[in-house]
Amino acid sequence: MKFVEIKNLSVTYLGNFKPSLVVDSLEIEEGEAVLIVGKSGSGKSTLVNAINGVIPNLIKAEEKGDVFVFGYDVKNTPISKLSRLVGTLLQDPESQVFNYKVIDEVAFGLENFMYPPEEIRKRVFEALKVTGITHLADREVYKLSGGELQRTVLASILALEPKALILDEPTSNIDPVGTKQVFDLLRTFREAKKSLIIVEHKVDRVLPYVDRVILVNNGRIELDIHKDEIIDYSDKLFFEGIEIPEHFLYLKKIGAREFKPELLKGYVHIPPKRYDGSEEVLYANVKVTTKNGETLVDTELRLKRGHVVALMGKNGAGKSTLLKAIVGILDRKLQSKVKIIAYGEDISKKNITERGKYIAYLPQNFDLVFVHRKVKDEIEYTMKNHKVYSKERLNHFIKIFSLERYLEEDPLVLSMGQRRRVAMASVLASGAKIVLMDEPTSGQDWYHRDMLGKELMNLRDMGYSVLVVTHDSRFVDKYCDMVYVMNEGKIVKIGKPEEVFLSEGIEDLGVYPPTEYEVMRYNNH
Amino acid sequence: MVSWILFFYGSVIPVIIVLALIGIKGFVEITRYESGTTFFYKLNPITKVVLGIVVMAVASVTTWWIGAILTAAMLLVYLTLNDGFRKFMYAFYLFLSTFLGGTWSIAPYTPYSVLQLAGFKQFNVIWVWPSYFTAFGYEPYLTVQQLIYGAQVAFRITAVVVTSLLLVLTTTASDIFRMFTKLKVPIAITFAITVAFTTVPKVFDLIDTSVKMQFLRGFGYGKTAILRPFYLLVAAILAIPPTIIYLARNARNLAISVDTRGFRAYNSRTSLVELTYSKYDYIMWGIIVMLIVLAILANIFGFGRTIPYTGL
Repeated sequence: MKFVEIKNLSVTYLGNFKPSLVVDSLEIEEGEAVLIVGKSGSGKSTLVNAINGVIPNLIKAEEKGDVFVFGYDVKNTPISKLSRLVGTLLQDPESQVFNYKVIDEVAFGLENFMYPPEEIRKRVFEALKVTGITHLADREVYKLSGGELQRTVLASILALEPKALILDEPTSNIDPVGTKQVFDLLRTFREAKKSLIIVEHKVDRVLPYVDRVILVNNGRIELDIHKDEIIDYSDKLFFEGIEIPEHFLYLKKIGAREFKPELLKGYVHIPPKRYDGSEEVLYANVKVTTKNGETLVDTELRLKRGHVVALMGKNGAGKSTLLKAIVGILDRKLQSKVKIIAYGEDISKKNITERGKYIAYLPQNFDLVFVHRKVKDEIEYTMKNHKVYSKERLNHFIKIFSLERYLEEDPLVLSMGQRRRVAMASVLASGAKIVLMDEPTSGQDWYHRDMLGKELMNLRDMGYSVLVVTHDSRFVDKYCDMVYVMNEGKIVKIGKPEEVFLSEGIEDLGVYPPTEYEVMRYNNH
Repeated sequence: MVSWILFFYGSVIPVIIVLALIGIKGFVEITRYESGTTFFYKLNPITKVVLGIVVMAVASVTTWWIGAILTAAMLLVYLTLNDGFRKFMYAFYLFLSTFLGGTWSIAPYTPYSVLQLAGFKQFNVIWVWPSYFTAFGYEPYLTVQQLIYGAQVAFRITAVVVTSLLLVLTTTASDIFRMFTKLKVPIAITFAITVAFTTVPKVFDLIDTSVKMQFLRGFGYGKTAILRPFYLLVAAILAIPPTIIYLARNARNLAISVDTRGFRAYNSRTSLVELTYSKYDYIMWGIIVMLIVLAILANIFGFGRTIPYTGL
């Protein structure tokens, strides 16, 4: 039996004139695993939502054509019936859970289907075992890491014993350790011969677990290939903004048609030029403890002018806490001792509003920055508050972040990339030349991360200093001059990206180098 | 000028007090369940809901000081919770704010005829409002008796607020879901209530981030620290639109997540954990019955609704 059969499908969202997705024909066999790639907004999620019944059952859209899942006509099948056949895991783990304890979250679906309590208990513990989180059964969900949360939702889905799984960017919002845990489960699913659809940006990491790769672009399936053909199409995928490792392109260049380690003997990854920066502009000595005396951060940090530095490490290593301590927005339950010197001036005793003049900070949820209904007002707001407003200055930031076309728009209705640029312009408008960014690459496709990297290079060239918390090693390799690795509240490793990525035991610190470095290590050995 | 200060005192000061004392993060802590093992955590959620309803009823139909005693008693229960003293203090600040806000939202509007019905024989004027304040519904004069009356009625509100918060702090969203299912409340309504329970702390968390970002962007720059709570209040109001939009975007995800896990597959649900009644529930039911008896006796012995209701 076929897992998916689509014929002449067209999906048009309400209020749109053009369809967001058009698929002439697509078939996925039972037991087959398919990787779907494409830029944000290309139609990937529309495709999977048309398969799992979210469209048209939950998201109203005009749907033409036929979609059959295990022989059921999706249009005429209740989503509850489809959910027994197809489980769906979404991108953001936090927004998918609402129960208090892990065990309650895993039991949620089974309770909905009115299984008897004994059966629920049996299936819950089986699912917890498969996902490796039995020890977390009684933990509060809000205390879990991203990876643990994703595995909790996955356990909840698996407890329903679906024949197929749809994983829609399951690792976009979680750290490398959590990502590895989720990817390790893919092997288990393959062994269990589950049908799989995975929407993912990390092509090289998922490739071993799939049979086919589908590229969705501008609402169309542009490519549908066997995974062994990926080298052949690597340049096309790269051109379409897909995160393709450099050594795939190398193999294509030398005429290789498939991935074989021996063909990579001649491959050498040449890192981009790293900048040394000039004088020190930020010195921070930070100690943060809980009321119980537990030390969360106890470290020193230095930043030079014209330097882009990545702060990496496991979840809970203290990265975000360090940033918050520097800008003075720590949770009031935490105790801190900080010495902050910015541009030679001791700002340790200054409050948040005053520190904002020296240091700009962009949180992960950058939408929360917006408190005005026009882009122009948003940027002016910071300038006027800090009493540095001038027309020239406003135009300067508008130009840097290419916002000319959106000045009268509401920032909250712009696309993700545009919103991030407005948020950056808004925080930098204070005149601060030191920028701290908390996980700006999280949940974004390569196209947007690449765009962010270019913006940071532009800022560096203008003398800004940037400290960016990220798990994205490929982004770090391409755009950062230096890496600080944090572990248990301390910066334990400092070096250029290539030095850090090639150092022994770096994975133990929660840093997973880009696969190009794995190839280099393989070649060196 | 003084009239305007008094006007804003009533509407703004209670919020400022709470913001200054517990901060926005304090709201996160006081609206989120944290596990515990003491008496109140062991109660069946239905028992807690019934207690809340009975406290509301008793406070409504008896004299004001019974409401005050109930408020004090329920406040003391906070000391028995996990990290009890901190929660007690937070609840106390919230009580204080509700009390001030409640008093002030009643006192200046209360007509003298109502005060007479409530047993006040003479009126001591402490402030004369400008004539245009009558447009807000204010009486021409502010009297001591109006303030006393406002405070008395406020105790009816505080008793309910303090008790309701206990339910939130000691009951998981999952148990609330199970309780409503058992009570045969329609599943969609149950889900909406449960999501609201889990969303409230998140709302405050997001507002806190947005407020901090505004301060970092210079909001209140160069202003004295005394004015900070006022800026905090304005920043919190400005933070509402981005918070709502952020939540709305996440709500879509949650809807997909639950619907693809069989939500609303049937009109009812089974439960992994059967909500049972323990000896603690029987003790609490005993207390609840005593409260009802108290209300009846109070009414028989002339301590019933001595204060008339004026549109409350």
